[in-house]
Amino acid sequence: MSYTVGIDVGSTYTKAVILRHDQAIVGRTMLPTGFKLTEIAERVQQDALADAGLTPDDAVYVVATGFGRHQVSNADVKVTDITAAARGTTLLFPGTQTILDVGGQTMKASRLGDGAKVKSFRLNDKCAAGTGAFLEKTARYMGYSTEEIGPLVATSKEAITISGVCAVFAESEVINHLSQGVAPADIMHGAIVSLVGRSVQLMKRVRMEPEFTLIGGILRFRRMVDVIRKELGTDVNVPEGDLVQFTSALGAAVLGHRRLAQLAAKGSEAAS
Amino acid sequence: MADLTTDTTIVGRGNKDGARLFREWFDGLTQAAAEERGGAYVFVMGSLVELLRTFDLPIVFPEINSLQTAVRRVAHEYLNEAEDYGYSPDICGYVKADVATQLRGGELPMGRIPKPAIAVYTNACNTYIKWAEIWERMYHVPTFTLDVPGTRGEGAQTWRGHPDFENDCRYVQAQLQELIPLLETVTGIAFDIDRLRESMREANTMSRAWKRVLELNQARPSVFNALTDGTIFLGVANGFRGSPEGARYFEDLVEEMEYKSANGIGTLTDEQYRLIFVGVPCYPIFRRFSEMFTELGGNFVTSTYLRFASGGTSWGFEYDLDHPIESLAEGVLISVRDAMDNMFFQTGILLEMFDTFRADGIVYHPIKSCRTVSTGLADNRRALMKERDVPSLFIESDMMDRRVVSEAQLKNRIDAFFEGLAARRQQAAIRDP
Repeated sequence: MSYTVGIDVGSTYTKAVILRHDQAIVGRTMLPTGFKLTEIAERVQQDALADAGLTPDDAVYVVATGFGRHQVSNADVKVTDITAAARGTTLLFPGTQTILDVGGQTMKASRLGDGAKVKSFRLNDKCAAGTGAFLEKTARYMGYSTEEIGPLVATSKEAITISGVCAVFAESEVINHLSQGVAPADIMHGAIVSLVGRSVQLMKRVRMEPEFTLIGGILRFRRMVDVIRKELGTDVNVPEGDLVQFTSALGAAVLGHRRLAQLAAKGSEAAS
Repeated sequence: MADLTTDTTIVGRGNKDGARLFREWFDGLTQAAAEERGGAYVFVMGSLVELLRTFDLPIVFPEINSLQTAVRRVAHEYLNEAEDYGYSPDICGYVKADVATQLRGGELPMGRIPKPAIAVYTNACNTYIKWAEIWERMYHVPTFTLDVPGTRGEGAQTWRGHPDFENDCRYVQAQLQELIPLLETVTGIAFDIDRLRESMREANTMSRAWKRVLELNQARPSVFNALTDGTIFLGVANGFRGSPEGARYFEDLVEEMEYKSANGIGTLTDEQYRLIFVGVPCYPIFRRFSEMFTELGGNFVTSTYLRFASGGTSWGFEYDLDHPIESLAEGVLISVRDAMDNMFFQTGILLEMFDTFRADGIVYHPIKSCRTVSTGLADNRRALMKERDVPSLFIESDMMDRRVVSEAQLKNRIDAFFEGLAARRQQAAIRDP
């Protein structure tokens, strides 16, 4: 029985997935990334292996992804989160044609071709506009934590118009709305609608086609999914529960098994 | 057995000699500044150096000076100074670095440049005109705009014999005939047509060789990096055009590249992907930018920059020395038009480059501070992809301002692009074993 480890060192959270050769997820862990990337990558790996009841010796192949992938000291291979997300998504939803991945500081749209290959991709600009950081800061300016965004926005009756998606200038816009008596839930809802507008723009640029699959930490907020679904006018796939945050790590682990299979094939070729 | 020894007197000579010429050029400018001799301020797209040289004017390329501040990692000091002086952060980085240079009395890391005696420029870049107005206000010197008619539409270039072309030639020639007396007034030197002929003869040698150098990179593996080595070649192509040193440099360069090509000496030890660069380089992280591609086996085999930043002289136009003025007008028209085509009508040019250089992908690099080369690049890319399924990457940064250069953001996109190239190659291998 072989196990691979997929580690996604994201801008906000670092995730690890342990995948058995039959594609079963047997362990996973997620911790805030912080500033010591090598150490956090080691920790999530250890915790995920412990979660699976395995030891480090059981992990035969380690694939790192995410912006901090180059800091994962024991990675056998490093791949971008674009490629990893494509693999993870198509394992969960094989019919996926377009992926939207909204994380803490990045937003990515990818269009897939045959065999889960990325045909084209677009990333957000060089700022936090349209990413989780925007929602997080909007919540924080109103005195709410990131974890309270979901429950807060669930109480919204209507979305207020938020004209910008700049995480830095969000404060002045929020203060303006609050001073006019707008409910925080409606402001948060407006922020999500604004974010979705930007996401859909990005998806259009990769010439989106259904099926759509949404992944990334921000998609754990149900309202975000609902607004995207409404905007696209079609159903979307979303990995269940916190798996939405683990999709790229999962994809990395899938790539690990593919790599093992290639190495095995080369080995048997050499032996014959 | 193949001879694996490399002639080290030839290989690497272009970069070494280029650096030497560059130092000599700036030594000369520093000397001119000390002697308070005014220079001719010119630009890379249509410099008319062949003509200006005959009036003994020290040649100053403010664009090259500015980019050097970025390569030497001091651009931010210059940019901040110009912004403190009142220029908006949105203004072209080259302009701002030059403004700061002027405020510092011409001081640059490479030496000191003389003040302008005259500014001569074309309409190939709209900023040129406004830039020259700054010197006009600062120094009360004459400025001369050479209005070069561009191509009327993609693929609509006309040539000798066509009425549009003949009109355009006459139009440029008439302007040159206005410029010559102005140069005589500014310098006090009488125009000497034989000196012009000599200068044009050297320029012809350079044009022939420059065209050949670019063609030689069609070799597999490619013999130079169009981004890093190419920028050195461009410096000489601009600063030494019309001079014997420039002509000799390019003849030597042809010899070096032919040698490398004949002996299979590539610029990379293991060339995996051949790439085309579109736009202006990222000078604040000049080497590192290129390394992000080369360490993954990618080399830039050619670029639109090598064409437009050499003022279209890569086209290889050779002057008719029996009719210097008429031919100068024709050459300027064809070259500057080609420089503009490489910025504004890229689709056909890029597809041709893609085929002739057997490229694997195209990298678009729009920059924040140059609207002229960056506006429309996204549309150009879309048009290209509509024509053909060509792998392309779109990355944004700047030519001068490190505040808008994010290496991590660039790296992630570049890595993903290479993963895509590898996947394509893999699929092609499965499809056509």
